Formats: sequence, C-alpha cells, structure tokens
Amino acid sequence: MLFNTIEYLLFLPIVVIFYFLLPHKLRWILLLAASYFFYMSWKVEYVFLIAISTLIAYSSGVLMEKYPGKKSKLLLLILNLSANLGILFFFKYFNFAAENINLLFDKLEIGKDIPLMSFLLPVGISFYTFQALSYSIDVYFGKEKAEKHLGYFALYVSFFPQLVAGPIERFSRLTPQLKAKHDFTYDNLANGLRLILYGLFIKMVIADNLAGIVDKIYAAPNNYSSLDILKGVVFYSFQIYSDFYGYSVIAIGSAKIMGVNLMNNFKTPYLAKNIAEFWQRWHISLSTWFRDYLYYPLGGNRVKKSRWALNIMIVFVVSGIWHGANWTFLIWGALYGVLYILEKVLNSALKLEKEHKPYSLGHILLSLKTFALVTLIWVFFRSQSFGEAMNIFTLLFSGSGQITEALIIPGYVWFWLIFFIITDILLYNKRFDSWMANIPLIGRWIIYAIFIFSIIVHAGVENFPFIYFQF
Amino acid sequence: MYKKIAFKVILLFIVLVIINAVYSKWFYEDDIQQHSDIINLVRDIPNDADIIYVGESSNNSFRRDDLDKRYISAFVGDYFPELNTYDITKPAAHAGIYKVLLENIPLENQVKTVIVTLNLRSFNANWIYSDLETPLQKSLVLIKPYPPLFNRFLLSFKAYDIKSESEREEQFKKKWKRDQFNLPFEFPFQNVIEWDYWMANYGIKDSVGNIDYKQTELACHYIKTYGFQLDTTNNPRIKDFNDIIKLAHKRGWNLVFNLLAENTEKAQELIGDELVYMINENAKILENYFQNRGVIVVNNLNVVEDEQFIDQDWTTEHYAEKGRKIVAKNVAEALKTWYKEFYVEVNLGTTYHTNFFNSCDNSCEVWEQMHTITSELAYSGNKSSRTGTGNDFSITWEYPLKVIPDSLKQNIAIELMLNQKSLNHDAKLIIEAHGSSFNFYRVGFDVKDDIKEVNQWVKYSKTFTIPDSIKQADLMKIYIYNPSREKIYVDDFRIVIK
Repeated sequence: MLFNTIEYLLFLPIVVIFYFLLPHKLRWILLLAASYFFYMSWKVEYVFLIAISTLIAYSSGVLMEKYPGKKSKLLLLILNLSANLGILFFFKYFNFAAENINLLFDKLEIGKDIPLMSFLLPVGISFYTFQALSYSIDVYFGKEKAEKHLGYFALYVSFFPQLVAGPIERFSRLTPQLKAKHDFTYDNLANGLRLILYGLFIKMVIADNLAGIVDKIYAAPNNYSSLDILKGVVFYSFQIYSDFYGYSVIAIGSAKIMGVNLMNNFKTPYLAKNIAEFWQRWHISLSTWFRDYLYYPLGGNRVKKSRWALNIMIVFVVSGIWHGANWTFLIWGALYGVLYILEKVLNSALKLEKEHKPYSLGHILLSLKTFALVTLIWVFFRSQSFGEAMNIFTLLFSGSGQITEALIIPGYVWFWLIFFIITDILLYNKRFDSWMANIPLIGRWIIYAIFIFSIIVHAGVENFPFIYFQF
Repeated sequence: MYKKIAFKVILLFIVLVIINAVYSKWFYEDDIQQHSDIINLVRDIPNDADIIYVGESSNNSFRRDDLDKRYISAFVGDYFPELNTYDITKPAAHAGIYKVLLENIPLENQVKTVIVTLNLRSFNANWIYSDLETPLQKSLVLIKPYPPLFNRFLLSFKAYDIKSESEREEQFKKKWKRDQFNLPFEFPFQNVIEWDYWMANYGIKDSVGNIDYKQTELACHYIKTYGFQLDTTNNPRIKDFNDIIKLAHKRGWNLVFNLLAENTEKAQELIGDELVYMINENAKILENYFQNRGVIVVNNLNVVEDEQFIDQDWTTEHYAEKGRKIVAKNVAEALKTWYKEFYVEVNLGTTYHTNFFNSCDNSCEVWEQMHTITSELAYSGNKSSRTGTGNDFSITWEYPLKVIPDSLKQNIAIELMLNQKSLNHDAKLIIEAHGSSFNFYRVGFDVKDDIKEVNQWVKYSKTFTIPDSIKQADLMKIYIYNPSREKIYVDDFRIVIK
C-alpha cells in the first residue's frame, strides 16, 4: 500500500478514527494490527520476517536484563545481531555475494557455482532491522531498559507510517509517544494534513514526473545529447530528493494526526554548504544512526587523523552498502567518504571555514558547489553498474556521436520543479506545517488550492514506487 | 473545534468545485487525448449508426495475400448495404473494456444493434490476469461517468487495477493451480499446470522420434490457453458480459454475442480429444448461458479451418479473408432476426479487382499503413494520410498482381491528391513488386519534379507500364515515400489497372 494511492487515503482515516474512538489501553492493538495489515499489503508472507526480527530483539532485550553479566549480555547481543543481520544479509545481499563469488570461481577456474535465490526483497527490511538493532544495542549499553510489553515493542518496530522507509526512530523517542495517551486536536490534524498534502505534491508532482524523464535517459543514454543527459542527471537529484523527502513528510504527517511526532529526516539538504552539512540534512535518521552505532564505537574523531579518516571511510562505505547490494552503492558511499575527508582537510589547511548568512552570496555559491558534487555522485547511485555510470560521465562530458532522440520535457514539469525549488529555499531550516501555520487564512488556502490542483491535475500517471522502499 | 473542521470542509469543497471547473475547461480534453484516447473509437461513430460491431484484433487482422483486407464488421455491412454499420476495434480488449466503451456511446446515437465478440480465450486466467490489463484499465479511468476532476484524481492516485508483470503472473499461476479439472472421463492431470508440465517434459515427437521443441512449445501454449473449465459463477468476464446485457436492455439495443472461431483443428492435432472437448464444452456453456439471458449467440467456434488462421505458431483469432468472411456471414444470418428486409446475398468467393480507391475516410480493401490517417487536413471527407515526421510511408496499396489475367494488366494509372508543406524533401512515388520468379523490383519518381505548389491540394498522376517480368508479382505496392521531416498529405488515392 503506497502512500500515494486511494487505498492509503482510505486506510489512514479509518485507522485515525478508530484510534481516537478506542480507549487508550486498546490503541496499541489497533495500531499494531493496522501496521501488520499495511505491511502485508505488499506480500503476506514477509510479515513473518518482521515478526521474527521483533521477537529476536524483544527476547534478547528481556534476557539481557535477566542475565546482566557482561559475557552473557555480549553473547545475547552477538546472537541478536547475527540473527537480524543474517536475515538482512540473506534477503538483501546473498545473491550479490553469490554472484561475485561465482565470478571469482570462474576467474580461478573452480568449476562450482553458488546457486542464486529467486525472491523479492522484503520491503523496508533495512529500515526495521536497523530500528530493532538500535534498541538492542542501547539495552546492551544500558542506555535503555528492556521493554517488557511485547505488543508495544512490536509496534515500535512496525509502526506503519515509518515502517517501510523510515525515519528510523530510536526506542527512547518513539515508544513513550506510542504509550502516551493522545487526544484528538485540531492542530495535530491540521499540521498532519498539511504535511501529507505537501508530501503528496513532492512525490506525485515532482518525483513521479521527473522519474519518467530520468528513466528514459538512463535506459538509452547514447541516444541523447550531452545537454539532455545533464538534464537527466540533475533531474535525478531532484527526483530522489523529492521521492524520499515526499515519503518522509507523508510519514511524519500521518503520525502527527495521531499525536506522534516522528523525527525530521530532511532539512533542505541541497542548501548545504558542504558535504558534512549535507549529511546533517539528508536522511538524518540514518546518518545519526551510523554516527551513534558505528562512527562513535569506532572512536569517532577522538583518534589519530589517519584512524579518523578510516572511520569516516568505513561509515560511508557501510552506508553505501546499506542502500543496496551493488558495487555502485559501495562506490557512491566511498566517494562521499573521500569528499568528506578532503573537504575537512582542505577547510582546516586553507582556513576556508567561514560563517555565511543564509541566502548570502557565499551560501548560494557553496550550496551550488555541494549540489553539483552530490548530483555527480548520484550517477553511481542511479546506475545499474559501474560501466553504466562511467558511460553517463563520458557522454556528459564528450557527447554522443549518434543522437537519435530529443528529450521532451513538458512545460508543466519545469513549472512545478521551479515552484518546488523556490518552496524548498523558502523552507530553509523550517518545516512546512509550522511555516504554513503562520500564513493568514486566505493565503494558506490559496497555497492549498495550488497543491491540490497540482496533485490531481499534474501528478505523474505512471506507477513509480518510492525509491527507498527497495532498501 | 468541530465547527472549525466543518468550516474547512466547506472551504475544501468550494476549492474542489472551482478546480473542477478549471480542469474541465482547460485540461480535461488534453488529458483524455493523452491517457484515454480509446474514447476516440466511440467518438468516431456517427450518430446515424444502425449496427455497431465491437471487437478486438480479430476484426481487423488480415493476411498479406488477402485480396480483400477489410474488417469482419465491413463484411457484415456488405449484407446490409442500406444500414450503417460501424465498428469499435481495440486490440487485446475484452468484455470489461467493451462495457466501458459501450457506456460511452452518446444517447443521441440511434444505434439499434450491438454485436460484441465473445472470445473464448478471454475467459482464461492468463488473459484475465494479463499484463496488458494495467494499461487497458488505465486507459478507461478518465472516461468513467464521474466529474472530470474526480476521474483525474482516480488516475493520479492509481485507482485502477495496477499490478506488475510478476504479480500478474503469480495471479494466473495461482488460479491455474487452484482450478481442478472435473471431467466425465479419466484424465491423468489434476490441473493445467500438471498437464503443461507433462507436455513440456514428454514433448511432441517428430517422425524419427526426437522431441520437436517448436511443436512442443506450441502444444504447451494450447494447453495453457484452452485447458480450463468455465465457471459461470465466478468468472469476471461473465460478469462483464452480464453488465453489457443490462446496458443493452437499458438502452434498448438488440444484442448479439459473436463467439469467435478457435483453431480446434490445431488443438486436435497437437493435443487431442481432451483439449478439444474442453474447448467445445466451454463454448457450449457460453452459448447456453447467454442465450438463456435473451442474447443471440453466434457460435463460430469450429467454422474456420486451420489454414485460415494467420498465426500458425500461437493462439489467436486472426483469420485470413475467407475465415473473416465466414464469421461475418454467420453474424449476418443472425442479424436477419431484426433486419431480414435489408439483407442481401453476398458472394463469399474472392475475385480480383482492377480499380481501387482510398479516400482515407473509410475502411478499405487492400491498403496498408492506415495508421497514417489523420484529421489534420483533408481533400475530401475529413481525413488524409500524413507522411513525414516519422511516418515515412503513406497509405500503401498492396495487391497480389498475379491474380489479374495478363491480358488485363498492361498499365497502372495512379492518381492521388497531394498537399506538401514545403519543397524541402526528397519524397518519391514508389512502385515496388515482390515475387519468387524475379528479383525485387522498385522504381521511384520524385514528387518535386511534377509538383511545385505548396500548401494546396494538387492532383498528382502517373501512368506506369507494367514490365512483363513482374506481371506474376506475389505482391505489388504503391505509395509515397517521405523520410523527411516535412509533412506531405495524401488523399483520394486511386489505382486503376488497365
């Protein structure tokens, strides 16, 4: 059940109505049932995976408290990590590993092949696995008490607005909100609906219209001119941003109506002045996860410079691989690592780090520089293989000798894209719902009317599922 | 708080009404042409229609050597020259699609009789859950009987049967597995999957006992296509046809279901009695079921012989000329129920013609490239054939010259109306011949040599003396070839063989 379907537009109000009609003590049952139903709408069988992940994390937490000895806790953590990451590995990385091992076998002329598995990747497996893992690690380090209520814990892992593509919430942030009694309030309803409206606009009008154009370019780049390929590459930057940002905003809005505040996953990342800031503004729930559960345990920056650089590289490469089982994701992550280190080193050597006021010329130029770098790196993320990415770069800079197609971009796509960019600039360090709340009624409703019009009349009509669902 | 919410709901309603007005006035028609141009099939039917024939590609498929390449519906029309017979032809369509198209026939249309093709294959799971279904369903959303903005809302939020190819495959395989055979004789297979699996492994043997993989693959395909037993209670197509019956009743239409011919000869040859039994039983069920509901069912199931099926390596209802004419004759016989006084006898046999004319406004016998027909410009009627900008070939006359006695074919007189937008092209009038007794023959005449006028209709004539060497041509073609980006329109194309 995608957020941008009639099914979800019916599902959400039904859940919300029953949520507020039911007595507080029964609400978790409703939300858990709704979340499992939501997940089963993709593939019924995969609900067992999420249930298994939940049970493993839950029981290891309870057992860690029951057997607080250092060794037993460590053993439980290792078992838990092995099981959860094992499931993730099997479904997400097995075929990738097998293909590469088979290639190696071929090179070494070993006459054996590891058979490949044929199954669909369970939607959102990386998200809920990481959410469950963060809880277990927190319990191990004593930052969290183990949750005794299996129902609430299962709900923490599977809460439907953020189940399949985040934001990846921490136990300490989400569970108390799920347990708390929320009354129906006009402000929550209004803010939630505003966010959903804006999220639908970003996903359906921006991302889905750009998706078709980007797909054309990446499907046959040799047929297009350098300028058209450049358009495709830049459009992908906006496609993936609006696709994932749109999802996150709808998720936050859906939860908001029920009084649950999910964390912000994006803060105008393309206005970041450097790569480090970009990662403070892009997919925040994942970058903070890696910071807390990988970067800090590795020593963070309280180590030698060389070790720090290694830590950075490890974090970005793992982050790349988290996104998908392909060398292109690894390269994508590694490039960020290299750029991150380079920027830090250059900034401190050349003393380039200066404060720039928002919207100042310095801010604009640095943002454009960061956007250009990020856009080029996205080419690896979007490409199916290293060769495909290199072909895009070659064509981008040297052109194709056999242009057979002209990229036709409808006027309304340009119009809404520019509209979105302006909106995004205006929203720098602000969130859409609170920004809208400060606009007088008439202005607000004119904006609503524009968004409603664009969503209904100019939404892309092809079916492009949210990109991050595949992770 | 609830007052506040009620106020906002009213505000939202007002906004939606305004947006609906804006959308209907300035955007809806463009959207229809972009996403639901299927509606043009209905819009093209004049209000003076007496009979409408609704079908899929069986109606307009023809074999290259057909002397008369017209549609089944046109052949039906031959039997009732005084009546206006039109067609709605949509490839891969089925009753669910026909239903929506028929609902869109305006009330002003005087049509009295509707003929709908009843395609046995369309009742099978692999057609019901075909991956063609997503684009077909999508094409219907904007023409549903709701306010335009609501239709666009449904399209934007993907409120139609939208599934990936793999999901659809999973659907029909599940159905195949679930549906157990219940036959009045002993049969070793429980369901179509088992039967297909056996055939794929056992195979069809050639004369020396080796597996003939091509024939085996075809046999498996026949099993998967026809190996089912119709369940009239749950089959969604039955429901669609019942809805068509209700609609016809409401609109006062006479209704004929035209059960199409299947290649039972081939089924017998490849598989044997069991499959033919299933095909015949299913046809009987359909015939009885719908006749009991007051519909005239024309049963063509076994009337077309194997040789007349155009696709010999697949299951289709695409018939060559003779096959189409037989089906048309049976339909015409059924139409006598209401139009006996209008009925005229038609000779089913094929004969040669020496005079051909295409005004671009009607279905024509021996012309190809009819997709180049456009309403942008016309010399006569409303349409012409547009070449250039991707359409390299104009409407093309194609005819097996060999069928005309040599004494009657010395010259070909070509005459057409032509409108060129500029002289910046190298368009040619092409005459080409294909045959087994000679090398490929082709001759071209530069259009610009004879016509200098632009932006006006000019008569272009040429007389071509037929060389003896090509008089036995299996196929002769005449057309305007224009690979440039400059548009050239062609209308009233006449070929006379003298």
